[in-house]
Amino acid sequence: MLTLYESQRRLTAFLLLLLTFCAYFTLVVSVKHENFKTCDQSGFCKRNRAYADTASSTSLWQAPYSLDASSVKFEQGILTGTVLKKLINSDETVRLPLTISFYESGTARVTLDEERRQKGDIVLRHDSKAKKQRYNEAEKWAIVGGTSLSSGAATSKGSEKGTTNVHYGPAGTFEAVIRHEPFGIDFKRDGVAQVKFNDKGFLNLEHWRPKVEKPAEDKKEGEEAVVAESSKEVTEDQSTWWDESFGGNTDSKPKGPESVALDISFPGYQHVFGVAEHAGPLSLKETRGGDGQYSDPYRLYNSDVFEYEMDSPMTLYGAIPFMQAQKKDSTVGVFWLNAAETWIDVTKSTSSANPLSLGILGSTTTNTHWISESGLLDVFVFLGPKPQDVITAYSELTGFTQLPQQFAIAYHQCRWNYVTDEDVRDVDRKMDKHRIPYDVIWLDIEYTEGKKYFTWDPMTFADPLGMEKQLDEHERKLVAIIDPHIKNEGNYHVVDELKSKDLAVHNKEGNIYEGWCWPGSSHWVDCFNPAAHSWWKSLFRYDKFKGTAKNTWIWNDMNEPSVFNGPETTMPKDNLHYGNWEHRDVHNINGMTFHNATYHAILARDKEEDKNNVRPFVLTRSFYSGSQRLGAMWTGDNQADWPHLEASIPMILSMGISGFPFAGADVGGFFGNPSKELLTRWYQAGAFYPFFRGHAHIDTRRREPYLAGEPYTQIITQALRLRYALLPAWYTAFHEAHTTGAPIIRPNYYVHPGDEKGFAIDDQLYVGSTGLLAKPVTTEGADGVDIYLADKEKYFDYFDYWMYEGPTTVKVAAPLDTIPLLMQGGHIIPRRDRPRRSSGLMRYDPFTLVIVLGHSGDANGTLYLDDGESFDYEEGAYIHRLFEYTSATATLMSRDLTPASSSPSKKTKEYLKSMEKVRVEKIIVVNVPESWNGKKEVEVSEELEGKSAGTRMAELEWHGKVEGRAAWAVVRDPGVLIGGGWRVGFA
Amino acid sequence: MKAKDKDIAKFYKDATAFTCISNPATALPIARLNDDYCDCPDGSDEPGTSACAHLSPLSPHNPANGAGAAGSNTTLALPGFYCKNKGHVPAYVPFTSVNDGKCDYDVCCDGSEEWEGVGGVKCEDRCQTIGKEWRKQDEARQKSLGTAGKKRKELVAEAGRLRKQVEDRIQSLGTEIEGSEIKVKQLEQEVADVERKEKGRVVKGSVSKKAGKLGVVVGLAKQRTEELRETLERVRGERDSSTSRLQEVERILSTFKEEYNPNFNDEGVKRAVRAWEDYAARDKGPDVDAAHDRDLDAMTKSDKENGLDWEEYEGDDDDSEADVLYAFESYLPPSIRGWLDQKLRNLRSTLIDSGILADTSAPSSSGDSKSVTDAKDRLTAAEKEVEKHRKTLTEHQDDLAKDFGPDDVFRALKDQCVSTDAGEYTYEVCFLSKTTQKPKKGGGHTNMGNFVGLERIVVDDELPPNGKGLGSGERIAMKHENGQHCWNGPNRSTLVVLACSEVNEVWRIVEEEKCVYRMEVGTPAVCEVLGGGGGRAGMEGKKAGGVRDEL
Repeated sequence: MLTLYESQRRLTAFLLLLLTFCAYFTLVVSVKHENFKTCDQSGFCKRNRAYADTASSTSLWQAPYSLDASSVKFEQGILTGTVLKKLINSDETVRLPLTISFYESGTARVTLDEERRQKGDIVLRHDSKAKKQRYNEAEKWAIVGGTSLSSGAATSKGSEKGTTNVHYGPAGTFEAVIRHEPFGIDFKRDGVAQVKFNDKGFLNLEHWRPKVEKPAEDKKEGEEAVVAESSKEVTEDQSTWWDESFGGNTDSKPKGPESVALDISFPGYQHVFGVAEHAGPLSLKETRGGDGQYSDPYRLYNSDVFEYEMDSPMTLYGAIPFMQAQKKDSTVGVFWLNAAETWIDVTKSTSSANPLSLGILGSTTTNTHWISESGLLDVFVFLGPKPQDVITAYSELTGFTQLPQQFAIAYHQCRWNYVTDEDVRDVDRKMDKHRIPYDVIWLDIEYTEGKKYFTWDPMTFADPLGMEKQLDEHERKLVAIIDPHIKNEGNYHVVDELKSKDLAVHNKEGNIYEGWCWPGSSHWVDCFNPAAHSWWKSLFRYDKFKGTAKNTWIWNDMNEPSVFNGPETTMPKDNLHYGNWEHRDVHNINGMTFHNATYHAILARDKEEDKNNVRPFVLTRSFYSGSQRLGAMWTGDNQADWPHLEASIPMILSMGISGFPFAGADVGGFFGNPSKELLTRWYQAGAFYPFFRGHAHIDTRRREPYLAGEPYTQIITQALRLRYALLPAWYTAFHEAHTTGAPIIRPNYYVHPGDEKGFAIDDQLYVGSTGLLAKPVTTEGADGVDIYLADKEKYFDYFDYWMYEGPTTVKVAAPLDTIPLLMQGGHIIPRRDRPRRSSGLMRYDPFTLVIVLGHSGDANGTLYLDDGESFDYEEGAYIHRLFEYTSATATLMSRDLTPASSSPSKKTKEYLKSMEKVRVEKIIVVNVPESWNGKKEVEVSEELEGKSAGTRMAELEWHGKVEGRAAWAVVRDPGVLIGGGWRVGFA
Repeated sequence: MKAKDKDIAKFYKDATAFTCISNPATALPIARLNDDYCDCPDGSDEPGTSACAHLSPLSPHNPANGAGAAGSNTTLALPGFYCKNKGHVPAYVPFTSVNDGKCDYDVCCDGSEEWEGVGGVKCEDRCQTIGKEWRKQDEARQKSLGTAGKKRKELVAEAGRLRKQVEDRIQSLGTEIEGSEIKVKQLEQEVADVERKEKGRVVKGSVSKKAGKLGVVVGLAKQRTEELRETLERVRGERDSSTSRLQEVERILSTFKEEYNPNFNDEGVKRAVRAWEDYAARDKGPDVDAAHDRDLDAMTKSDKENGLDWEEYEGDDDDSEADVLYAFESYLPPSIRGWLDQKLRNLRSTLIDSGILADTSAPSSSGDSKSVTDAKDRLTAAEKEVEKHRKTLTEHQDDLAKDFGPDDVFRALKDQCVSTDAGEYTYEVCFLSKTTQKPKKGGGHTNMGNFVGLERIVVDDELPPNGKGLGSGERIAMKHENGQHCWNGPNRSTLVVLACSEVNEVWRIVEEEKCVYRMEVGTPAVCEVLGGGGGRAGMEGKKAGGVRDEL
């Protein structure tokens, strides 16, 4: 009997086990939606959307804001006045000081404040210690220049009644038409309105008001408004004015409702781009529902959203409230300077063609609605007309991207976690053994002793200095992670100092805030505090952060900040920062202040006497406008699947046009195990990320490139070596970004702003100004891709010179070992073809120049070169050349792009001396004329100390057309110096 | 002319022209030899520079890479830059490392690969020191290898002795089994005899005894049955409440597991989830099933309902005791009775068919006397002994058939353990048994895999100067599988790769992938067993000696 039961029981147990396993495997890990708010769950967003709905649906909507004409003053590029807000249920008006600044750069800035809060004439609830003003220090963190006021701006009597006009910008071609009632502004270029403020009447600035306590029975949700306003037509939803709960956390909102919102329209513009960071297409979608559109606005509230979903307006780790609108041959932009939680609705309306004006087609207008929880209404307007103009103007304000050290744009090998110092050394050796170049190896949180930053786990990283020394032997670097949460544990000097010096973020009661993160109970350093900033700087000194060397750099993660037990995985909004600003006011800037403190800490870590002349490298996950000055960003915790690979391209392109081009995505995908094909394709794509790092979650299998096996390892190595060979081109692109704000990888619209058909293309990219056009394969099993060629120009396959011609869409074969990469005619691309172990070991290698001849037969390209590590370039220690090939004379010239100077600095001379032997070893000319057949020699003449130093001949080797491939030729060892002036005659 | 190997040097003899080694059609003026420009499609014109370093299948395709055809299989004719290393062993440096501004003394002790002095680097000749040190270590290594070889011989001898032991034991077991079998036969006879003698007695006794005894037994049985039923009911109630509480807790935990945030990596939470998973994956033993419950229901009903009327027995004792005792099926409700009857019959016949149960269909006596029991016990014991011997024999035979490596050598190491400290753990391998991770801070040991077999793998590692490493070539490895299950991963497994060493020692432990470990272990057991010194952690490796032989 027992035996029988036994066997039955076994079966039952087996089935149960099976069930358990099924449950285990079907558990799909993905973003926990319920952890993050929708607009409907975010009181001020819901209120403002409802406000917009009312405005749109009420036929005679009269926006309650007007500019008091008598208050308007204009002086030295600044217009001031008072906007009056008429209250719905009373005769009172609220006074809102208005400032419109016109800058020399052609940028206009509109700032609206609230007089009572400005004067501190309000009462806070709950005895809050919070500052009474609207947050007015965002500019302190974000704006670093470009604010010199326009001397030429001038008011003119408005052509329409009730308006004030200001002419400004280049040759006065820009105009701001300020409408008094209802208050609104049209920004015009050449007489045509490009950007309109409050055209739809959504302007809303929630003024301060005392809370009116109502009888308890009125408090039922959904009823109170009706009860309070029963006699009025317009009602307001007050349910989230005074406090708000989400996911078990209650926000006490001591300042009551204080949101700011405005509609900004772009008449005639079909596309808008920007407001990074989101996982979605580059061209922003509509957000008010509809087929294939979003139903929630784009949200900016920096959050630790792991395994984020694709094609979503959901917020991610960083926020850049900068938007560009694009129509044929015109780009304009706005920058919404506000650090609080922000939502942006996008809608498009198409006017049908006017039947009375023949030939005029209907046009699309993009309307946007910007909604922030608190702070000032502070908007910058850029009128273009080229994409570059808008980005340069934005970059002048928020700063240009850092010129990184050369290693930072080479390949980074990361994993959570390399488990011991020996593990690191072993990976280092194995990369060399497999002849795979890499520059940097990374350590995630496990290197610390119990997640205490600035310590090393003595068991696993007993000898960090020895490890760093080994890395340094081949000019390699170590990056170690340092996060803003400080473990709350006794006998840990960092937390002891943090507490005793009172440098942490405070809770709403004003005590040190305690939350939960990797180490468990933690405190957060408040980098808004200048004292915290100085203290943070002291922690990185080599004698303080023992075990770090000069080749140790830093990674800042979790700086949104991520708080595991906080609302939406971050801090309570009523927490208090330095100056008693509420966290709600500064949230989106928080990550940047931490990144900033670390950047300066790295600058300051050397002894006074050998002041660090080396550019810091600090990677950040959270960012805001201005973070580009401090280092690189990556797109956070992505997943090892094809959609995430695909999404990485538009996401990084979006960062590129948002003034923060030093961006990348985790190659291979952070969560999960990529197939070998996916890993290979990801490396091929990653070779075109400005920031190129392989990374993996702690629970994934090891995936260093040499583990993939053949043919994968070989193909991955080719992709890595391609990146290294093209480093001179990449570095030049970084320099361009550093000086003009230009994206490093560029979307089609940016390169071809006149080509409407290509505006939405976001799966192919141009590398800097090199004419290199790549379209990484992002689908499984692909053997080819379609590449869109926007212009009437010839394009050549990078690897075999196969010829294509635009404008059209071409098919390019892409078996696994091939990256679809074309060269646009008319460019000269600098390369260094000798494979080395790291980029530092390529410093004195010779160059190859690739001249790609297109329709015109002319070509040019630039090269920027410096020591790749120090700030000496700021003192002139660099080489900056323009290579120009002119078909008329069949000559290639190398010209100096450095500003002419009578006496070059000492640093300049030293640098040029160090490079005096570095030559051009090869010149490849693609698509050479038939007439070159039989040509054997070219004439080379060099300029020495400003004089021509005679001529010599170099051999030319000609290769005819084969099938669809272009004819090409190679100049054998012209021997000309990379830093010198010279001329090669092909005639 | 830059350094080249003597065997290759013949290609470079001509003082006026040079012909590419693999492409004899391409002839170059001698000035193009080592002029830092790559002319030959096989790179042979640049034996002393890095100009042809890009000629490799690892480089991106490029029409300008030599032959012109895109994607052509470009392979270098030379293994690398030749370092003479006078005073030491010659070696080849990869061309990618030539003139990059870093001295690669580990390969090129004479520093000749940085002849150009790029960036002002000067690599002095260190071959005297390095060579001397190397020779010293090599000598020590050779000496150690000699000792190791001797030790292996000892191990092999020991293994032979152990094998012999097993063989001897097999032989003696054979004899023992024979003896035992005879004994069993004798005992069987004895049982038969005793039984025959006892048979009459039982029948007699049964007749002479007064039947009134049954009444007492029934009274006691009734009382006892009542008690048992009450207890059963109580226990069942307790069981049900525990089960429901357990289910509730399990529900809480599975929700917890689904909803917790794995990204947060809170150790406490992770530990709890892990423990829960282990728990959930474990065989939870018998579950409450309907049939079982039905039985219980039936058993806890009153005896009358179960068809048992005590009064029937208390008053009247006509039936024989044996009949009552064996009619136990009547205690059960009719529904179960039928089912049970069927099952029992099936079971019985199965057991009888397989020889586990004796066929008692023939009527047998209802009880054995003491002498019969004793005889049977003796028989059973004897049978068991035979069984035991046979089992031992099989084990020993299996043991002989098992793979103990070349010369049976691992037989001598069986169950010997060696360990090493790495990080916060001590790692241990017990030969032919298992690998274990032991936390230094205390806490439970983790099984990293149980030995499943030997295999041969090819390794390619740099050999450290002290010789404590795998080197390159074929090596014997011990596979260990099915260790403790890993959080978010597989069952732990370990590959223990062996190389020659004077003593048994763990050199290195790495977690190659999540919960997939690799141990590098030195042992004299594998010295000089693979190829000509392959398994010997000798002096091959990066030194050019080996490379030259290939040319």
